[in-house]
Amino acid sequence: MSGSIEVRGLSRTFHTTVRRPGFTGALRSLVQPERVAKDAVSDITFDVAPGELLALLGPNGAGKSTTIKMLTGILTPTAGEARVAGVVPYLERERNARNIGAVFGQRTQLWWDLPVRESFSILRDIYEIPKPEHTVRLQEFDDLLELSTFWDTRVRHLSLGQRVRCDLAAALLHDPPVVFLDEPTIGMDVVVKEQVREFLRHQVEERGRTVLLTTHDMTEVERLAERVVLVNHGRLVLDGTLDEIKKRFGSTWQVRAPLADPHAEAVALPGIALLRREGPKVVFGPDGPDAPAVHQALKRVIERYEVTDIALEEADLEDVMRAAYVQAEAPESRGGG
Amino acid sequence: MAVLHAWRAARVTPLGELYAPPRMTAALIRLTVQVILVASLWNGLYQQTGTTAGIDREQAVTYAVMAVLASRLRELDQYAGRDTVLQHMHFGTIVYWYLRPLAPQRYYALRALGEQLYGFAWALAGFVLSLAAGVVQPPGSAAVAGVFALSLLLGQLVLYYVMLVIDQFCFWTLRNGAAMLILIFAQNLLSGVYAPLWFFPDWFITLSSFLPFQATLSVPLSLYVGRIPLSDAAFQLSVQAGWVLVLALFTRFLWRRAALRIVSQGG
Repeated sequence: MSGSIEVRGLSRTFHTTVRRPGFTGALRSLVQPERVAKDAVSDITFDVAPGELLALLGPNGAGKSTTIKMLTGILTPTAGEARVAGVVPYLERERNARNIGAVFGQRTQLWWDLPVRESFSILRDIYEIPKPEHTVRLQEFDDLLELSTFWDTRVRHLSLGQRVRCDLAAALLHDPPVVFLDEPTIGMDVVVKEQVREFLRHQVEERGRTVLLTTHDMTEVERLAERVVLVNHGRLVLDGTLDEIKKRFGSTWQVRAPLADPHAEAVALPGIALLRREGPKVVFGPDGPDAPAVHQALKRVIERYEVTDIALEEADLEDVMRAAYVQAEAPESRGGG
Repeated sequence: MAVLHAWRAARVTPLGELYAPPRMTAALIRLTVQVILVASLWNGLYQQTGTTAGIDREQAVTYAVMAVLASRLRELDQYAGRDTVLQHMHFGTIVYWYLRPLAPQRYYALRALGEQLYGFAWALAGFVLSLAAGVVQPPGSAAVAGVFALSLLLGQLVLYYVMLVIDQFCFWTLRNGAAMLILIFAQNLLSGVYAPLWFFPDWFITLSSFLPFQATLSVPLSLYVGRIPLSDAAFQLSVQAGWVLVLALFTRFLWRRAALRIVSQGG
């Protein structure tokens, strides 16, 4: 199973008609439409190794879904190239389809009026999966996702969590080496989310599948991904491990210390910024690339000030990503897809 | 060839209906009421006259009832099953049609085949019952029956492609509600479901001859009741085949263009 993803200078420009405001504007747009080009994805380059789970992150409209649609062969790039499991997806759609599985958020690929198992049977035929193989795989998915309690129910009667679990199974029935998941756990409760995460971890670690995941759920990223690609305004902002992201964008810790003398003056220390003062309490955070590690910061604060207590708060990934999105703002505004 | 293995996709509509008994009951009631009303109407219209527009009462009733039954062959319900191009475009699930090793056009054809076979089962059951009840007349000869079957098949192919064109509009317009309403009206009027075409003025018949609709039902039913003689059958069949060819090429072109128009949804 070789499921690498190679992306080189991938770009996609959409041409849309600008709708002018007001009645006159709408009329003018009708008679004399103004076409504008929007770069949804610009010159993105990254690789995903076989058996790796990569989180493709970015704010809404950053170009994540457009990137996934090009890698699944749905969209053709304006420039650049991509290979998924050795296949150029947009040139060989049907061949690529055998190598990939995909789940797009709450959009189901199951047949609404039929019991789930009928949907699985239709997919078995479409992908030409041998029956014994299909049975074994379905059993495996049932063990992990507990599908058999509702797989004889019609899709229209399933809850969101049940449906997404079925969609995940449907996407993997043909044993694809590469899986694209576009916000798969959106809107799901924590129990089902955890079950899905466990399923994905199993698919990566035990089955060696390559997974490209987009999500806004940072808990999911922390639990599943070691590497992250961050895009914003269609451009790649960062490609690195979670630790690297935290180091680059994270005010990753805050030290809170009430001073013994509430009127004592507090100042910044080398590599440590004074973030704010809350009455007798002072709050310090890292200052620039030379900021010390947490334990050193604690030591320096205690050495410099007489404190009655000291508390350490480490910023979570959500804070880090928020900082990353803000800092990564491009000067010009571009649309996403 | 994935299309041969994917035959189960043809079962989607019949299975969906079987899992929804109220829908089947509604279809049964609607069809029964339509057949009874249409038979009563045409019997009533012919009560004071022997032959009108070249056909007698039995021919007219047979034509009208069979038109009702045949119109059941392809259910024009855009919302049942949530598996239409319109709905997939609306919900953004059309992407899955392009993520499978089965081309969207083949999947669409399989789904339509299943739908038409399901409709055919209804129409056949209705025909047998109507025949047994003496509401419709049997075909004049085995040759008429054979030509009718062939013409009906071609007619269904024409209808399939006309429906496909309307569905393909969704790739450009996202919605096709207005086009579908026009199609249903035009199909029923110009194919002779509302009334046989020979009751319309000459200019109307000339106009409709340039459109594909009369090839769907009017031609096969006219052959069945003998309004079109067997000697003209070859010409009529070739016209139907011509429409099939033209529409097949046109829809093939549209599928290619549509593949470039998959709307990107979401960021």
